[in-house]
Order: sequence, then structure tokens, then C-alpha cells
Amino acid sequence: MSDSGYALRLEGVTKRFGKHTAVSDFDFEVPRGVICGLLGPNGSGKTTSIRMIMGILHPDEGSVSLFGSDPDVTRRTKVGYLPEERGVYKKMKCIDLLVFLAEIRGIRRAEGRKKAGVWLERLGLSEWSDKRVEDLSKGMQQKIQFIGTVIHDPELLILDEPFSGLDPINQDTLEEIVRDFHQKGTTILFSTHLMDQAERLCERVCLISNSRKVLDADLKELKAAERKGIVAVEWEGDDRWIRGPEIDRIEEVDGGLHLILHDGADHQEILKRGVESEARILRFDLVEPRLHDIFVRHVGGAVGDAGMPANAGVGAA
Amino acid sequence: MWVNVWAVIRREYLQRVRSKWFIIATLGGPLLMIGLTGIPIYFATQGEEAERNIAVVDGTNVLYDRVAPGLEDGGYTVQEVRWHVDVVTELRERTTDGDLGGFILLDELTLETGEAVMYVASNRPSGLRRLTIRSTIARAAMEYQLEQRDIDAGALMSGGELRIEVLSEDGASTDDPAFIVAYMGAMFLYMVIFIYAVAVMRATLEEKTSRVVEIIISSMKPWHLMLGKILGVGAVSLTQMAVWLASGFLIMAAGIPMLIAMQPELAQLDNIREILPGIGMLFLFLGFFICGFFMYSGLYAAVGAMCNTDEEAQQAQFPMIMLMVVPIMFVMNVIQNPMTGLATGLSLFPLFSPILMWARVAGGGIPAWQVALSFVLMILATFAIAWVAGRIYKVGILMAGKRPTLPELWRWVREA
Repeated sequence: MSDSGYALRLEGVTKRFGKHTAVSDFDFEVPRGVICGLLGPNGSGKTTSIRMIMGILHPDEGSVSLFGSDPDVTRRTKVGYLPEERGVYKKMKCIDLLVFLAEIRGIRRAEGRKKAGVWLERLGLSEWSDKRVEDLSKGMQQKIQFIGTVIHDPELLILDEPFSGLDPINQDTLEEIVRDFHQKGTTILFSTHLMDQAERLCERVCLISNSRKVLDADLKELKAAERKGIVAVEWEGDDRWIRGPEIDRIEEVDGGLHLILHDGADHQEILKRGVESEARILRFDLVEPRLHDIFVRHVGGAVGDAGMPANAGVGAA
Repeated sequence: MWVNVWAVIRREYLQRVRSKWFIIATLGGPLLMIGLTGIPIYFATQGEEAERNIAVVDGTNVLYDRVAPGLEDGGYTVQEVRWHVDVVTELRERTTDGDLGGFILLDELTLETGEAVMYVASNRPSGLRRLTIRSTIARAAMEYQLEQRDIDAGALMSGGELRIEVLSEDGASTDDPAFIVAYMGAMFLYMVIFIYAVAVMRATLEEKTSRVVEIIISSMKPWHLMLGKILGVGAVSLTQMAVWLASGFLIMAAGIPMLIAMQPELAQLDNIREILPGIGMLFLFLGFFICGFFMYSGLYAAVGAMCNTDEEAQQAQFPMIMLMVVPIMFVMNVIQNPMTGLATGLSLFPLFSPILMWARVAGGGIPAWQVALSFVLMILATFAIAWVAGRIYKVGILMAGKRPTLPELWRWVREA
């Protein structure tokens, strides 16, 4: 292990496929122990970046380092990698597959078998242990693959869209396991386009769009910085008070109304008007910006109509 | 580092050995062999149970004692019936009644020419039985005649002896047992090398298309994965051949005597054992197989790695198929004329050696240094192929998109 404070670091990484630049001059780092979301619309370069980290692709420019050094096989073995395109040996028994995946990461068979048993139990797949992978449902196969990703207790988890294709219950189970690993000190990087998931899980987010990094920040700080001018309101009676020069527009959200203020406008003015009016105010609440909104705000302009808002839809429903 | 190569070998081996197809092919091969040879023989000798009881009427008074043991060895129960005027009528009746399977008449003419008459109820004896009876009678007559002239019947009748002194360096002719060994062995080598090399390609392709490879390559070097695959499939092939060869030997060594004990008229089958190659040839055969397998599976692994679909792989393996067909085209020629420059040259080319050098060795009469040289060349070729194929594999296995052109391949090899 090295002294580097970063589990992962990309410097000026660029990858082109023919004329298309998939990732452009990407600087990015994940401090040890942090859980970080790599967010971006489809085709923005998330998977390409991850594949470069795993040595599956080689950057045309720039460098990747794992745990402070070259990402060679020894260091990559300390990574648990869940690729976007899921692959398993379909003909193998689940337990054999898991033991094999542990074994190629240097875990002895007996120990691998024990760990696999524990994980199968935890994910409710014990009775499938001796079944062939191909006999399992897609969701179950995905859970098996997830076990295969974490069976060697990696120091760094790299999960490419780990939650896609899972039902809400399994999404929760997985989320919980990811949290557990985080608590144990594992560094986690996962890519997703599910904003609410990222919002719940991440400490850091990195936002890429159109092959370029748009944002890379601590989520709390980001939210604090982006907290400007959204007020959720509820009231009875007169509604003239919610109109004024401070207000850019009004949106209906979850049955209530959000007042979107102009940059630099003071919500205090609106509140004052409300109190002085005939209205009876039930709620006046400064809204934390949702990651979704931040995302749309930053990506919207950059991608134009690349379809981001649709993809970034809350939880992608 | 080698732990994960071992894991790949182990997985590949167990998955394949446990598969239904492996079990069917491995056990089915010998069973098929037994079936193809055994069943016709079985049926040829069965169904005559009731007809085995035969009578012999010996008009010469000297033949019966010589004929009876031979017929009994041939599975008949024999009784002698003295000659009298109505003997034929009487035996006809007994035969049609089912009391006898038939009867044989021996007379003076039999002593002169070996001719005899056999009466049977309805079913003609099988060709094999007719041959047994005919030769038994002819032998008996010959033996008698020789003894009359004070000639050592035993030595002559046992078939004599022929010592062969080879003067030229000509190869085996097609009716020589060595020819059969050379030709069948070459064909078998072609078949198994091809089957298992293609198995390596398919395994590679499957790993690639199913995307498992991304996970595996993140934990081990591509070269190690390729090595593990080849060794794993190789171990499977050796297992299968061990079963085949062992059961082949068992059939020859134990099965044939057993069959002869049960059906004495099959005594000629014993000759088959004469053409069996010795243990030295067996090791030579395995040596050629292993070298051939390593060379071709390396090439096929590279093909598997550079393709994305079965169809693509079908096309891309064409050059390899050509490489394997050339020796098959020349194999006849090489067995018959093993010492020509063409035969020597072709058989020393490493990719042809497994088939052609084997054919020359098994056909007989080629210098040992050539065999040794071919092994040295094959081993060098194996390393060269592994080096090139390993580089193609390394790039190809993670590559999606269209199949590389030759210049691109060359770049992979140079840059990898």
C-alpha cells in the first residue's frame, strides 16, 4: 500500500475513438475512504473513464494511477470491478463461479467458498448455490455478479451502473451493502444516472458531460453553494404576495409550489410581503437544491438537447 | 501469480470434463468402436443355437478324428455316424425333425480335394462358419496327406514363417500394417488437434462475447489467461485420449481373447493385435499431439481473441484450416515415399510435423535425427507462436468492433 491519500487519480486523461473524443482532458481523484458518484448522461464518457481505470482501455493522453502507482495487475486485484456489461460463465454453478472469481484474486479456495456462502446467505441466494448461473433470473444473476465483485474484500470498489436492472428492494439491499463497505473504509466509485441514488449515497460527485468534467466537488459543499433562491410555500387565502420582482418563475412540485428567485434576490422580501398580506402562511421553506436540479442546471446548457433531463429524471422512475 | 493461471486451468478442466458432451464423447468413442465391430460379429455367430448339433459321416475312416476338434473349437457339438446305406436318409429325417442342426459327408474325394457336402435344415451357416468348417476339413485332409508322405505336418500347417529383410528405403505399402498405423494415426492426430484447437478458440470467443473477460483481465495478465485456457483444454484432451487409448488397448488385449474364448470361430481376430503399435510409438504419438495442439491452439486463441462472433471466427480460421489440410493432402504420398526431399522438407515444417513426421515415423525407416529435429523445431515454433499470439490476444481480447486487418494485426504484435 502506498502513502498516497488518493485511491484513484486521473490526470489529463484523454481517449479518442477515431474522430470521436470519448473523454477529454479528464482530471479526477477519489480520496481514500470516500464514496464518490460519477454522474453524467449516457454517452458522456463514464464507462470509458472506468474502463481506462481498470486497464481495459489505454488513455491516448494523460495517466491513471491506483493507490498512488501504476494500475498494474497487483493493484487492480485490490479493486472490485463491476462492469457495465455484465458477464458471467453461464454454465457454472453459482458457488463455483464465485470461488473461481475469488481464486483469481488470490484467495484460497476453501476461504473463497466460505465467503461465497456468507454472501449468498446475505443476499438470499443460498438455495441457488448449486444451480447453474443460467438457471437464475436476470436480477439474481446480477446479485451473483455483485458478490463476485466484492468477494475478495477490495480496497476500492468501482461499480459501473450497479443499480440498473434491479427492482427497488434489491436496489435497497445493494445500497445497504455499499454503505457497509463505506463504513469499513472501502473507497467506492460508482457511476450512475440515477440522481436520487447518488444523492443518498455520495459524499463526492463528479459530473461529466460531453466527454468533459463539469463539476467535481464534495456534495454537501456543492449543495450549500448551489442553494440559492428556491422557496417552497403553502398558504391559504390571498395569493398576490407570491408575485414580485424577486421571483423568476413558479413551479409546481409534489403538489406544492416552488418559487424560483432571480439570482441575488432576497427571499426575506417575499416573506415580509406575505406576512403583511391577507394570506395565512402554512409553509415557507428554503429548499436544498436537489442533485437533479444542479445536474440539469450544469448539463442542460452543455448538452443542449442530448436528452439529459430525461435520463436524469428523478430515480429514472 | 501462477495461482490464477492454475485457477483458470482448473475451471476450464472441470467445466469441460463435467459436461455431458465430454462424458458422451469420451465413453461413447470406445462404445461406438465396440459396437461397430462387436455387434456384427455377435449377430453373425448368434441365432444358430439349435443348429450347432451336427453329425459327421466319415466315409474315409481317417478324417473324423482330425475334423472333430476343429469343429468343436468352432462351437459345434459333433457326433460321428457310421456309414451305412441309408445313412443319408436317416440323417435327413433327423435334421428336418430338428434333432440335428445338419450333417457333413466326408468321402475319398474329400481326401483328394478337400470337397465335402454339408446338409442343413434351412438356415445356411454364416460366412464365418462356412469358412471355419471348410478350412477345418481342408486342413484335416492336408494333414493326412502330408503324414502319408512323412512330412512334418505341424510346422508347415502352422503357417510357416517369413523373415523380412528390407533392402531399399521405400516406405510402407498400403497393405502393410505399418501403413494402417501411419495413416490412421495421422488422421486421428489431425482430428484431435483440430477439435481441441477450435475448442480453445470457442472458449476465448465465449469469454469475450459474454464479457466475463473484463472481470478476469482486471485481475490477471491476458497472457496468463491465454496460457490457462490452453493448458486447461489441453488437459481435457489428454484425459479424453487417455480414456480412448486405454479402452482401445483393453479391447485389444482383453476383449479379443475374451471374444475368441466365447466364440472360438473368431480366432482370426487375433491377427489384429499384430498391428498394434508399441508403447514407444504411443509416446511419440502423444508428443506429436502435444506439440501440434500447442502450436495450433495458440493460433486459434489469437483468432478467437480478434473476433466478436462465431461467424467472424469461422472466416478468420480459414488460414489455419489451410495449414492443417496441406499435410493431409500429402500424407499418402509421404507414407509411401518417406525419403524424398519433398517428404523430408514438408515433415520438418513445424506446423506440418505432427501429421507428416508421424506418418513417416510410423511408416518406418526414417533416421532418428530427423524426428528429433522436428521436435526441436516444433518446440521453437510453439514459443514463437505463443509470443505472437499472446500479443494479439492481449489487444484483441478487450477489443470490440470490427476484426483487425493484417496491417492492424501487425501493429498489435509490435506495440503490445
